[in-house]
Amino acid sequence: MNEMKKWYEKSGAEGDVVISTRVRLARNLRGVPFPSHLDDSRKKRVLEAIHEAVIGPNSLFSGFFMWIPVASLSRTAAVSLVERHLASPEFISHPEGRALLLSRDESISVMINEEDHIRIQVLQEGLSLKQAWKTASRLDDALNERLSFAFDEHLGYLTQYPTDLGTGMRASLMLHLPALEESGIINRTASNLSKLGLSLRSASGEGGEENGCLYQLSNRVTLGLSEEEALSNLETISMQLLRQERGAREKLMQRIETQDTVARSLGILQTARLLGTREFMKLLSNVRLGVSSGFLKGIAPETLNRLSVLGQPATLRLPSGQEELPGMEQELLRVGLVRKTLSGA
Amino acid sequence: MICQHCGKNPATTHIKRIVNGELSEIALCGDCARKLGYNGFFGDWGLQLGNLLGGFLEEEPEQQQELRCKGCGCTFDEIARTGRVGCAQCYQTFRQRLSPMIQRIHGNTSHRGKSPLKAQLTLRPQSAMQVVQEESSPLEEKQKLLREAVEKQNFELAAVLRDEIKALKEGKHHE
Repeated sequence: MNEMKKWYEKSGAEGDVVISTRVRLARNLRGVPFPSHLDDSRKKRVLEAIHEAVIGPNSLFSGFFMWIPVASLSRTAAVSLVERHLASPEFISHPEGRALLLSRDESISVMINEEDHIRIQVLQEGLSLKQAWKTASRLDDALNERLSFAFDEHLGYLTQYPTDLGTGMRASLMLHLPALEESGIINRTASNLSKLGLSLRSASGEGGEENGCLYQLSNRVTLGLSEEEALSNLETISMQLLRQERGAREKLMQRIETQDTVARSLGILQTARLLGTREFMKLLSNVRLGVSSGFLKGIAPETLNRLSVLGQPATLRLPSGQEELPGMEQELLRVGLVRKTLSGA
Repeated sequence: MICQHCGKNPATTHIKRIVNGELSEIALCGDCARKLGYNGFFGDWGLQLGNLLGGFLEEEPEQQQELRCKGCGCTFDEIARTGRVGCAQCYQTFRQRLSPMIQRIHGNTSHRGKSPLKAQLTLRPQSAMQVVQEESSPLEEKQKLLREAVEKQNFELAAVLRDEIKALKEGKHHE
């Protein structure tokens, strides 16, 4: 089982810019109020119904998914789920009456009793919108064999937030955009994209830099467009964005200052004795820029993907079994991970 | 609570996030939430709509104000205040009042994507409409126009209609 590679340990199509693809579907059980209007005992009944459908003896999925009640997790394990993009911060903030279904390769997760009863999530490396949608839709169908979903001909799938009505589908791409960020046009780009019904935001929520120039591009409109239309819209526009980023990178990498920064960043990653989270993400971003433009050789993109997830604080301390680690010990652990991973590359 | 980003406006949205391995929460005003890319959240739509309807539709008949969804016991006020719809049935119960909000988010359109496997799961829209009385009196006609005006953000027209509705109602009381 340990040999199975996780999605964040691989690199996929357009992997120089697109780190990963996520497709999320919101579904609610028919005849049951949305989770925020359920007390713990009724949430428990929702959990039981879904457990029966997915994990039960006659289920197609038995053995495929792990069933993880959020309340059973340590704080570190819960935060690590968010760092690995398998759950939302909101989901782990109120553990009672919530559970996560997780496939062994961590590419499929289902949040139960988050904002909606069911949020299916498929994660894949690189640009893989159609494949991720296909997987999510198949899982949706399979759940639908056992469970009835709230639906209206005009409004589509009914969700707790009217922003998700219709397909209930949110597709997003995790993009590495160091050159567009450096050129300072990212805010203008974001506001142009917003007019096209897409949203581009820093993956950390605030100031891209602290998260290593990672951005999330997603569809905003869920009603009036089919899933395929929304996905092809997102893909077409993302390809334009990719071209812009690549063009800007080419210019950026011609500058001796950028080359210096990139080369030094790799040097620091390889030789530093302590690495804080923010510095680590910044260095990783610089090295990623160097690798994707061919300036740095011998490092595979998947190595960087792996580091950027496994080097996150909670995920880093998870194997130690400790809820808290003094800052320095955490940084030492990170240095160990970085050296081991880079030397293996 | 004041917005933790701009430090000026009152905070209306609480965003949970992970900072350096710990769960934390940041309180933002609507503007900053949008600026930081949290526009997927429904929170301030609800507040805006609540204020808007509060201003224009306070003349609604009593029973409409107190209408509770049979599915979850929610009132429209609760939905507007929290920005969260209580259950699937709320979309039928408050269809007329939710639709301007839905149109502002998605445009005037209807579902074109996937449907559930079994046809019998579908809630027919006709039955949904019956929750709100359909017979139309001059008063109801004007109230409908008012809602449409608010929907289209034609506030001048809305103000005129509001006064006419008020006059109609007062006229009734005098009879």
